[in-house]
Amino acid sequence: MRLTVILAIVGVLGVASCNRSTRSAAQGSAAPIQANVGPIPGGLEGVNARLNPYATDAVALQDGRRLFDWYNCSGCHGGHAGGGMGPSLRDETWIYGNHDSQIFDSIAQGRSKGMPAWGTKIPEDQIWQLVAYIKSMRTPEEPDPPVEPADEMVGGPGPDSPVEPSPHNP
Amino acid sequence: MRIYLPTLIVILIVQSAAMETAIAQNSGPITVPGSRPNIQLVAPLASGQWTMPAGDYGNTRFSPLDSINTRNVQNLHVVTTTSTGIPHGHEGQPLVVNNTLYIVTPFPNNLIALDLTKPGFPQKWIFRPNPDIRSVGIACCDIVNRGASFADGKIIYNTLDAHTLAVDANTGKEIWRTAVGDIKIGETTTMAPVVVRNMVYAGISGGELGVRGRLIAMDLKSGKILWRAWNSGSDADALIGPNFKPFYAKDQGKDLGLSTWTPGQWKLGGGPVWGWISYDPELNLIYYGTGNPGVWNADMRPGDNKWSITIWARDPESGQAKWAYQVVAHDAWDYDEIMENILVDMPWQGRQRKLLLHPGRTGFMFVLDRESGEVLSAEKYEPVNWANSYNLKTGLPDENPEKRTHAGQYATHICPSSTGGKDFIPSAFSPRTGLLYIPAHNTCMDYEGTAVNYIAGTPYLGASVRMYPGPGGYQGELVAWDVAQAKKVWSVKDIDLPVYSGVLATGGDLVFYGTMEGWFRALDAHTGKVLWEFKTASGIIGDPITFSGPDGKQYVAIYSGIGGWMGATALPDVSTDDPYATLGATGAMKKIKTLTQPGDLLYVFGY
Repeated sequence: MRLTVILAIVGVLGVASCNRSTRSAAQGSAAPIQANVGPIPGGLEGVNARLNPYATDAVALQDGRRLFDWYNCSGCHGGHAGGGMGPSLRDETWIYGNHDSQIFDSIAQGRSKGMPAWGTKIPEDQIWQLVAYIKSMRTPEEPDPPVEPADEMVGGPGPDSPVEPSPHNP
Repeated sequence: MRIYLPTLIVILIVQSAAMETAIAQNSGPITVPGSRPNIQLVAPLASGQWTMPAGDYGNTRFSPLDSINTRNVQNLHVVTTTSTGIPHGHEGQPLVVNNTLYIVTPFPNNLIALDLTKPGFPQKWIFRPNPDIRSVGIACCDIVNRGASFADGKIIYNTLDAHTLAVDANTGKEIWRTAVGDIKIGETTTMAPVVVRNMVYAGISGGELGVRGRLIAMDLKSGKILWRAWNSGSDADALIGPNFKPFYAKDQGKDLGLSTWTPGQWKLGGGPVWGWISYDPELNLIYYGTGNPGVWNADMRPGDNKWSITIWARDPESGQAKWAYQVVAHDAWDYDEIMENILVDMPWQGRQRKLLLHPGRTGFMFVLDRESGEVLSAEKYEPVNWANSYNLKTGLPDENPEKRTHAGQYATHICPSSTGGKDFIPSAFSPRTGLLYIPAHNTCMDYEGTAVNYIAGTPYLGASVRMYPGPGGYQGELVAWDVAQAKKVWSVKDIDLPVYSGVLATGGDLVFYGTMEGWFRALDAHTGKVLWEFKTASGIIGDPITFSGPDGKQYVAIYSGIGGWMGATALPDVSTDDPYATLGATGAMKKIKTLTQPGDLLYVFGY
């Protein structure tokens, strides 16, 4: 079942400015928003913070996993997002924040070190499915989690391999 | 057409101070003192200075300097260290020209000049090219750079965002900058350009992003692009003309760069040129190899996929091909053959021949006749099971069909892995021992072709790969290979990690190399005995060089900074619980995070 609840987004987003002339011009309008300026792109909770409509929906997670390959995310971020050309999405480090809307924005808007702005190519509902998949990593809900090879040292020698047989693989 | 008179010159210059930056281009092969009988090398060798990526056109990485030798190497100590400020993979090597040492850093590819005439080798200047930051996420395997060339008073090198630059070696001012590729379609530049006479040669990276590989020749004075030799497409695009005489029937025919692909696929055909370039002044030919064909999923590109995974011999002026040898047709493993091609003249089965030594990513050690392109020998130097052997009459491998990868199912226990029996890290050859010193690793893999879309500027991979250590209880090995006997004579193994540094051989009968744990070592070139070692700050994936300082003393320099494809797992951006990370290499490299940390140092050792 897909959740279809869309959270209403606060429409008024005042821009705090240090510029003297614009501040004086703004003084007569709506009261400024009382939230702190966030250190991370994408805004803070309460300000432009959309939640993923799919949350942890199982079908959306599966779709997100499939799309992660379909849009070549896995080519850059690793087969199961452990990193490569782009950073790991499995770890605890979130350069641009781990709120749903921040992950959405990173995908939609792109980031400076080569992350494309996918918002022009990927429909919004699919971006949310990707967000759902990314947030499921390292949780019991992660679809198709990475599988280690059966054991270490499993590369058996070829029929005429020049090296001595492995003690693990006599 | 110039005529080159073969001349036997024996020159041993140990003082660099008075030495001109001679690039003797008309001389024939030379004999190094103490060489094995009838072994000759391409002149000049790196002696005193280090003016090109491998030190010499023949890519031997052999220096005749012998002040540091097997008797006194235990006195080697750190003279200075310098930080580049970029804690990423430090591949390649510095240059030493006119008492100045030049470092090209990983992205943002700053060029740092150090003054060797003053204590501590202080910085003279730093040049910041400010390449496009988007290239960081477009380069496949860390943000590396493999070095520079010196010619005509200029330092020539590539920036990650697909540009070749010339910088004034004295002032650090940019002279020209040429776009050799386009990051928007996945093209980057990591290789070290080479200069022959008045022309600069560079190639692009991007075999994982569906680029169309090529070698680009530029004018040394202006940077103007003079020609491109494409690795797919028509004969006209590949600069194949009437002088093209490939040795094997499989490489002969018209427009093979078109006919060995399904229609249009050649436009995404891969075959990047991201490795090393050799030059033989006497034959007047440049040699280099090409990378994997576009899209790793082989079922998506039926055909031989020429000219991917091919060794080329070309005229350096016109770019016209003399011969080509496709090492692997229709690659299904990512076995790029951009490895170094080492030029040695020596007796081969009773006859003096001009050889090209190519330790292959395929795990085979190839010996070719570099005049004709004939394969004289192909023997395994690490565990290999994708093919049993090579047929020297046809030039074709005897493949093991079980190990050929396909879409929809894992082919398992393939050896070597995509990273090869060795990767790009260059070997060294000593004429005094007749041994080739190969920095090798023993890694195997499971590989499945998967569906993929071409989206310009993003990976065009189509494969799910996980690697793991190969059989035998070791992952790295510095292999001493007897070229004449075509066999391994000794090796130094590393249990936990690949050997992923370049190698230097010297007239002092020493072999220098580093480990991914950070040990920098000197071996006895004859026996492999470890005579000296020093633990540097980070894992070593750079290439050692040696030079004479203004004081007449011999020095050895090496970068210490883990990264690159196999070392990227040590970087904070990679998680070890995904064996498929870093194009599958992380599966084999999980331990590295516990053994070394990122670094950014140049070490200079003296005695």
